[in-house]
Amino acid sequence: MNKLDKSGMDEDTICGFSRRDFLKFCSTMAVGMGLPVGMGEKIAEAVTAQKRPPVLWLSAQECTGCTETLLRASHPTLEKLILELISLEYHETLLVGSGKQAEDWRMKAMKEYKGRYILVIDGSIPIKDNGIYCKIGGKTALSLLVEMATDAAAVVAIGSCSSWGGIPSSDPNPTGATAAHEVLKSKGIKTPVVNIPGCPPNPYNFLSTVLYYVTFKKLPELDDQARPKFAYGRIIHENCERRPHFDAGRFALQFGDEGHKKGHCLYKLGCKGPETFANCPVQLFNDVGSGAWPVGTGHPCFGCTEKGVGFTVPLHSPARPKYITPPSFFTEVFPGKEGVAPGTKALAAGVAGAAIGAAGAAVLSGLGKKDDDKKDKGE
Amino acid sequence: MSKRITIDPITRIEGHLRIDCEIDNGKVTNAWSSGQMWRGIETILKGRDPREAWIFTQRFCGV
Repeated sequence: MNKLDKSGMDEDTICGFSRRDFLKFCSTMAVGMGLPVGMGEKIAEAVTAQKRPPVLWLSAQECTGCTETLLRASHPTLEKLILELISLEYHETLLVGSGKQAEDWRMKAMKEYKGRYILVIDGSIPIKDNGIYCKIGGKTALSLLVEMATDAAAVVAIGSCSSWGGIPSSDPNPTGATAAHEVLKSKGIKTPVVNIPGCPPNPYNFLSTVLYYVTFKKLPELDDQARPKFAYGRIIHENCERRPHFDAGRFALQFGDEGHKKGHCLYKLGCKGPETFANCPVQLFNDVGSGAWPVGTGHPCFGCTEKGVGFTVPLHSPARPKYITPPSFFTEVFPGKEGVAPGTKALAAGVAGAAIGAAGAAVLSGLGKKDDDKKDKGE
Repeated sequence: MSKRITIDPITRIEGHLRIDCEIDNGKVTNAWSSGQMWRGIETILKGRDPREAWIFTQRFCGV
């Protein structure tokens, strides 16, 4: 039944791949999580040595975008590996059986793997009116989450809805849509939760978290909102390819204007990069090369990973850049030219640096001041 | 003698669907389908800037 159990590391192929390609994949995943390259071997051992971890996937107020994002992971080996890496016991969109058959299987899996299965949840939990706004097999999503999370080894909330409430929790939150970890906390359930927000989330952030758990038998290091630090440790603004334009004061002021065409910073169109923690500019989407993320395509980030930003702050209102500290000086950005005496170069760099520093500081010091924002709108 | 059959959840589709049908002498005489989830996106959209309507409406379905 379990192919991985039979395919040891000495076999010619693992999960249908050559041993070399398989190890390469594991090393790539290790680096993606900020682990040393050598850890790839350890991940490979963990993946092949044990029985695949059982996973039950509960869907609440969701749009299936989180499942789609996983299916769109086009890394050559990833789709196949994830299907053979975990043992997916229950997933409404993928189950063959319907109705009673589906629910019977869920009960059977929960009993058989009690305390060992990973519960993945996508979609927010409606708690208003006793949770009647989402029902599966006659049970509310609220009661199902409590029932399934109690006996789970860990809960992985995939997507913004289950991580912090997402779009259904937008004002006026008609159904009382609530994040999974908040529901569990209110019910006193202590099962550890990891949040992978994003609308949709990057599939590799989810897959890396699962691989980390399979390898080390614990969740990766998390931030104060239970997000893995390897993926959500920095704001988008820090790694944005348009950051030099921000620092130099070059902005797109309207869609289609000269600045927008030239790929300038989208801050003044309402980009929430300065207050949103995610690795979008680094991890990108769909494995199609550079630029495959919202800002790369010319649209401002709308802060989907961040509670209180995505679907909450108006799309085109300026971000509140609370995490940006203006540098005291800017380092040399122009490469040295041959034939220029070192002293001259240093002097020129110093002058250029000071000029850029002054311009950058002027831009940054203006942010967050309401008067300046009003002026910006008048431009 | 009619009897009623309920299939919930209907799998392999996006969303939470339930089918109820009444059967009389081996024939379906009446049937109902119902979505078992509601987020109130229409309610959420009221009073918002029309320029941001798309970020909500495109999330009706992620397939």
